[in-house]
Formats: sequence, structure tokens, C-alpha cells
Amino acid sequence: MALTRRRFLSRSGLLAAGSVLGPSLFAHPLVRRAFAETIGDRYFISLFLDGGNDGLNTVTPITNGSSATLRTAYEAARRAGGGGLRLAAGELLGTPSGAPTLEDASSGTPLGLHPGLSGLHRLYGQGKVAVIQGCGYPDYSLSHEESREIWESGLPGGTTLPGGWLGRYLAANYGGSDIPAVNIRSSLAGEFRQSATSVLTIDNVRDFGFPYDPAFSSDRDEKRAAFFALAEDAVASPQSLLAHVGTSARATLLSSESYPALHDLYEADRATFDAAYDGLGTSLAGDLREMAKVIYGVVTGQPNVNARFFQAVNGGYDTHSDQGATQADGQHTRLHREVGDAIELFYQDCEDMGVADKVCVLVWSEFSRRIGQNDNGTDHGSQGPALVIGGAVNGGIYGNHPDIRDASLNDDGNTRYSQAGGDPFRSTDFRDVYGTILTKWLNMPDAQVLSSILPVDGGDPNHCWTTPNFDLGFV
Amino acid sequence: MGDESTVLTPAAARHLLRRTGFGAPAKEVAKILQRGDTRGSAADRLLSFKPAAFQPAGKDLRLRQNSWIKYMIGAKNPLQEKLVLFWHDHFATAASKVGDVKMMAVQNRLLRRSCKGSFRTLLQEMNRDPAMMEFLDTVRNRKRTPNENYARELCELFGLGAKDANGSPNYTQEDVVQLARAFTGWRLDRDKPLFDEGNHDFTDEYPERGPKVVFSQVGGFGPAGRSFASAGEGPQEIDTVIDILLAHRDSDGRHTAARHVARRLLEFLAHGAFAETTPERTAVVDSVIAESGFDQSWDVQALLRAILVSDAFYETAAAAPYGAAAAKSVKWPVDFVITTMRTVGLKTKGREAYVDGGSRRSVRSHMAAMGQELFEPPSVFGWEWERSWITSATLLARARFARDVIAARGSGGTSFRPEKLVDLSLTVPGAILDATLDALGVTDQVTPEQRTILLDYLTDGGVRTSLDLADDDTRNRKLHGLFGLLLQSPAHQLH
Repeated sequence: MALTRRRFLSRSGLLAAGSVLGPSLFAHPLVRRAFAETIGDRYFISLFLDGGNDGLNTVTPITNGSSATLRTAYEAARRAGGGGLRLAAGELLGTPSGAPTLEDASSGTPLGLHPGLSGLHRLYGQGKVAVIQGCGYPDYSLSHEESREIWESGLPGGTTLPGGWLGRYLAANYGGSDIPAVNIRSSLAGEFRQSATSVLTIDNVRDFGFPYDPAFSSDRDEKRAAFFALAEDAVASPQSLLAHVGTSARATLLSSESYPALHDLYEADRATFDAAYDGLGTSLAGDLREMAKVIYGVVTGQPNVNARFFQAVNGGYDTHSDQGATQADGQHTRLHREVGDAIELFYQDCEDMGVADKVCVLVWSEFSRRIGQNDNGTDHGSQGPALVIGGAVNGGIYGNHPDIRDASLNDDGNTRYSQAGGDPFRSTDFRDVYGTILTKWLNMPDAQVLSSILPVDGGDPNHCWTTPNFDLGFV
Repeated sequence: MGDESTVLTPAAARHLLRRTGFGAPAKEVAKILQRGDTRGSAADRLLSFKPAAFQPAGKDLRLRQNSWIKYMIGAKNPLQEKLVLFWHDHFATAASKVGDVKMMAVQNRLLRRSCKGSFRTLLQEMNRDPAMMEFLDTVRNRKRTPNENYARELCELFGLGAKDANGSPNYTQEDVVQLARAFTGWRLDRDKPLFDEGNHDFTDEYPERGPKVVFSQVGGFGPAGRSFASAGEGPQEIDTVIDILLAHRDSDGRHTAARHVARRLLEFLAHGAFAETTPERTAVVDSVIAESGFDQSWDVQALLRAILVSDAFYETAAAAPYGAAAAKSVKWPVDFVITTMRTVGLKTKGREAYVDGGSRRSVRSHMAAMGQELFEPPSVFGWEWERSWITSATLLARARFARDVIAARGSGGTSFRPEKLVDLSLTVPGAILDATLDALGVTDQVTPEQRTILLDYLTDGGVRTSLDLADDDTRNRKLHGLFGLLLQSPAHQLH
């Protein structure tokens, strides 16, 4: 059965849009729906430090506190000198004037940020950074993959809910024709996994156009129509893998007609910031600039650009060897500088766009590293600090520093997870961080978070996550 | 349902060629049918090759990637290269950390030489592979400051898997610590592994560390575990460790390593659902092990043969349209690219090995944009398979590659010449479509609905009733376009 050209285009949803590639395509019903109401005009960004960031050399005791000798323990675990990872007290970035005290309240320990994090430290000085210490979960896995999957899914307890924690949030709030999220990378981030709505992955928006044969463009509309029809056909397949490819192909084609223009728009309107990202010259700076381009597109009301959720990743944290302390060319210093500088610039960019108060960034890693160093690096560890950055964030230190004293470590040489009420070193379960973001920033009711995103653990309340606290106070 | 004496149908032959090689060229399909091959005879024929000594050449990473790509495009035994890719993913090692492309090439040759030999030998060779020793820090694992990196991944990824089919852990952190002791004291001397006694953890020297014992809690050796020092301390410890690892039993009392590798190979050759640890899937894993005796001989070739004659393998030969239960797999980017180049008879151009059309990118950068850069797996876990291959970024990269292929209009072997694949005297749209599907080896993988869409494209929605392919403009738009659309289509990303 041969369809007429008119029927064919109609079936492909193109006739409704009028001319195929003209501006009226942007009224396509599949992409017209804007973001859901739940998040309002806010944005949320997940930034993953891949490989296990050494939390102890991120937020570090400067001196012993009033009730615990954490600096002494730190110096016992981290050597000075060649291959040593000790950060000298004088190098650490302590409380900036007028800012919330950088201190572990329960042990009275003054804390400092790694000197590589100077950009982040300046934001801390403005009250825009929350440091949530000792984020973990019971029975910490020392496997990269397992622990990353636990952080991505939000499910350490063996509960099986589909997808990632943000993916479940998206699935509850968005439909098959929405495109609420963009990952700045070519693979899908685990925390965004779900199958109800579309998450784009974009390396850079400029190159996100659909490739047509440039030499014989006269039947470009027909090629476009056929590809769209093949995608729609696949979407309807009962075979889930084919349907997945189809859904992805459809969202990709439609977005490929709106996202590439964001590059020129940003370059033209925001040249100073554009150049500043170039000045940093790191891949993370480039990725955050891609997010800024999309956010600028949303802010200026570009058609079919509705993304509110983003993800980027910075790699290289698996510092088993040659980690470096504060040497300018050391691995860990470089990584910290990449993150601190890029986030500071991105924040300023958002501020200039007038959305700094609408943006919330969560920085996390699959685990921290071993308290005692090895030759010149660190092996896999357990709980570590997470960072939350944004204009509406209540800056300061949250949670408790883990107990790093040798006698308190477990058999593996890692810090212990605890939920005991009176414990001055009580851990912050990472699900309390997620829960606070979901309920306070993304406006999901507590009960729904507990039933469909973050189910509580059973078991010993001193050791398991049985009493969630979705109001840690950082946002 | 069938067995090794089951004669291959055309669909089964195409499936076998797609999975064990790069695509199903009509000529190869015809050969199988002519010979009347059975599952068994076809598997034996495919597995009969003698591994080549090829090693990718070139002074930098780019050129070595190009070298391997060109070799795959021309490979006489595509299964050999499929297996090298499988082991490259299994023993994922990234040039960016290793920092020496020569070592990566040496590892590549090792994986080729041992691609279907003894798994025991392969593990022992990987223990001493310079690239691996750099990548997972064996060269930085010293008695005073042990480094657990390699020991952990030997358990989790290379040998056992983190958990067994019942969800029970296969090893403990203490096992990792103990295994790391065996690997202390190795370094590289002029790129060759060298045992450095002074940095090795001898039990005498560290009485507080106790005897070298692993798997005292899990592994089926009982509370005493298994000592690897008892076979003598020194360079041979890393070999002893492999034997202990292979003797490890999971909570069902099965050989953990055998199940781990058999499951992975089934995932790779049959379909991704074998990642699920359901009793039905596990039963298939156990049956190919029993069939091949893999848990005794560790003979990979025997295991491969058992997989290639199994119903589980042929289950995925399903023709389109696929039902809800049809088991399909997403083509790896390397598979998608090499298959396309081989099927349409396209050669790369120049030292940069690029596709001479459209964006004129090198083949390796096309693959990288699809999420698979050779010698640069994203992490020690290798690449994420199946669904994870497909994102908007990677779909666009696949579409871009397909566009570049059909836009390659130069002269000679680096241009796309559909006239070599489709008879240009054909005029009936349906016949042109059939010939194109046949040329791409996907005749049974396209549904009637998809056919309608593609015919609509060819005929401009029924306006044309015949096409003159000898006309340059018609051919360049419609025939090139049809190849492009098929390569870009969602269905073509699966096999």
C-alpha cells in the first residue's frame, strides 16, 4: 500500500507543523509541552566526581578540636614529605571573613578546604556553598561500580525500584513527549535512568544537528519525514529495546532542530563568559558552558528548549598512586582546581543571567578514599563529603566529620557508618541529602519520596537508615 | 529447539554471521546454505582459525587505532576480532593511564593470540601484561605500601564477579587485601615484567599480617580458606592465585569463574538478557559449561562451540516484526561501523583512515562519538552494553557516520558505489528496496510497516511508480538516501 505524499507527511506528524524545517515546526505537538509544574522555574544539576574523591583531602581538619583529636589522627594517616599526602595546616583555606564558620560543630574541629578549591572557597565566602560531611550508607561497598550504582539508584538496601533516583523523579512528573533533562556527555548518567520520558545526551549543542546529505539536499524533507516515521514505528514496537531506540531517535530528531542554535545565541549574547570558560580550558568548564547555553535558551524562551535537569561528570579521582598533596601539578590539586574554578564561573554566569537563585548543584562521588595513605596514593574508602551550591543554598557545614582516629576505623581502615542518635560522629545518609533536594528544591511530597524514590531500610536503627530527615537545612 | 545437527535456515545463517562476525554478506550466507551446514559444522568452521600474530602498528595512539580498524575491515576471520573486542572489554585497559601505546598494542596481540585458548593461561598472561600492570598499579604495589587495585578487579571483573546468581558476595575485602600481597614486588624493566624480591611481601617479614590465605569465608574452601604461600613464595605466587581463583565455588557450589565468563560470552554472542541472574538464564549458563567441560578444561574454544550450537544462541535469530519477548541486542559501535564498511565495500582514506564524505572524519573518531574509542574504555568496567549504547548523542553519531558513508562520492575504493551492490537496471521501487535490503544483509529484519515507509521515501509518497537509477540525480538522492535511511533507522541499531 503506497500512501500519498500528503498522507505520508500527515502520518509523520509533519503536515500539522506546516513547512517541514521552518520555524512553525517548533509548534510540533510532541515538543510543545513545557516542563512540569513541580519544579517551577528552578534547575537542578548533578555533578559526579568519577573514581572516588578523597574527601579527607577535600575538607580537612586544620587543628584538633575541643573534643576530638582529628588533626592528630589526620597527621598519623597522611605523611608529610615525598609521596606524602598531608595538607599543611597553613595551606588549608579556613573560614573566610563574614562567612559561616568552617568547623565541625560536634567535635569543635576547625576545617579547611584544599587550596585547589580556591574558586569554591570564594563562593563559600558568599554563603553559597553547603558542605555536607560524612555522606554514606550502611555496609559501604568498596567497588567503584557497586557504589556508583548505589549512589545513582539511591538504593543501598537491595530494594529494587527501576532506574536512577532522579530518573524516578522525572518519570513521576514528565511524559513521553517531554524533554526535561540533558546530560552533558555521550552516555546516559545512571541517576537519570528511567523509561517514561526523554533525557538528551549532548556533548556540545553546536554539533547536535541532524546529519543530512549536503550534496543532494533537495529531498531533505522526505528523508526527514521517513526517519521520523521509522522512529515512530519503532516507538510503537512491543519489543522494549526497539521502542527505546525509537523513543530516543524521535526526541533526538526533534531536539536536533532546536538545540544547535543555542550555541550561536550564547556566543553572540554572552561573549565575556564564553571567553572566560575558554580561559579555564578544562573539559568540565566546557561542559558547564554547554549547560549555560541551554539555560540561557530556557531563560530567553527559545522554542522547544525546556530542560531543567542536567548532569556532568569530572573523571580521574581514582588516585591509587601519585595523588599529590598540594603541588600545583599534582593530580588531586588539578582535579580540585577544575571543579572549584568551573563552578565559580558557572555560578557567576547564572548570576548574570539572573538565575543564580534558581540553580542548585549537587557534587558527589561514589566513595571517599582510605584514611591511611599507601605509597603515594590512596585506596578505596567509604563515606565522604557532598557539596551543594546555589544562590538559594544556605551556606555552611552540615553533618559530622567522620571519626578518622585509628582505633575507630573498621578492619579495612575506613570510617564507620552510624545512625546512632547521640553519636557525635553520626553519619549523614546520602538519601537524606537526596530527600532534602527532592522535597525542598523539587517540591515532591515527603510521602511520595518515601514510596517511590527512597524507601527506608529495615533493621537496626543505629546502623540502618530507618528515620529519614528530609530537612537537613541546606536548601 | 534444535541441537548441533540442526541444519541452518537462511535466517539462522545470517544471525550466526552477524553475531560472530561483521554483518551477513549475501555471499557468505549462500555458502553456508549451499554446504548445508548444521549448527555444529558451521561453528567448527568458524572456530577453526589459527590466531594471527597481528599487532596494531603506528607511532601514536591514533595510528594504532587506525591500524586495528583497517585490520578489522579486511579481517579474514572476523570472529577472531570479535573475540579480541570481547577480551579488550573484559580486561579493560585504557591507554590514557597506561601512557605507552606500544604496551597497548602488545596487549592487543596477546588478546588475539589467546582469544580462544585457555582462560587459565589468559589470566596468568594478564597478570604479567605490562599495560595491565601499569593500568591497575601492579607496578606500584609494594610490600610496605600494598596497592589493592589489581587484586580487586581480578576478583570483581576478570575472574569471579562481585556477586553470584543468588546475590551472595564472591569475596570479601580481606580477600582483596590477601590477594594484593601476592602481587607485590613486580615492576617493569625495559617494558618487561620483572619480579623484584626486595619489594615482595614474604610472610616471614610481616608476621603481624599472618599467613597468606584467601577465601576463608566464601569460595568453598571452608573456614581455613586456601593458602597461596604453601606453593612457595615468590614470582610463582601470581600463578598460584589464578588456580585458587579458578577453584572458587559460588553459593550453589558451582565454579564461579566458569559461570562468570560463560555468562559474559552469552551476553556478548546471544543477547543482553543473560546479564539477568534468573534461574532460567543461569540454567543456560550451566548447560553450556556442562556441554563444554569449561570448568575443568578452561578451554574457551570448547565453551564458544557449546554456545554457538545452543538454542539460547539461535533464539535471537527472530525475524521482524519482533514480539515483546524477542531477544535482540544493540550493535556495538565497532560492530556497526566495521559491518557497514565491509558490507558496502568501503575503504578508509589516507593515514587518518577517514570516511571520504560528509564530515570526512576518521573512522576512529566516528566510533568515539558513538561511545567506543578503541584502547580507551571509559573505565576498568569496560563499556556499558545494550541500552546504554543508545543515547541522543550516540544516535546522532551513528546517523552522521551513515551520512558520511553515502556521501562518499570520490573515486576508487574510498567512495560509496551502490551500483556494485544493486543492479541499476532495476526500476520497480519494491525490487530496488529488496535488493538494497539483501545487500545490507537485513532482509528478515524489516517489518511491512518499515517497508511502506521506505517505499514512500523512494516513490515520494506514491508519486513515482518507477525509478531510473542510471540517472545520476535519482541515484544520488534516492538510492544513496535509501542506504542512509536504512543504516540510520532504529531497527538497524539492533541485531
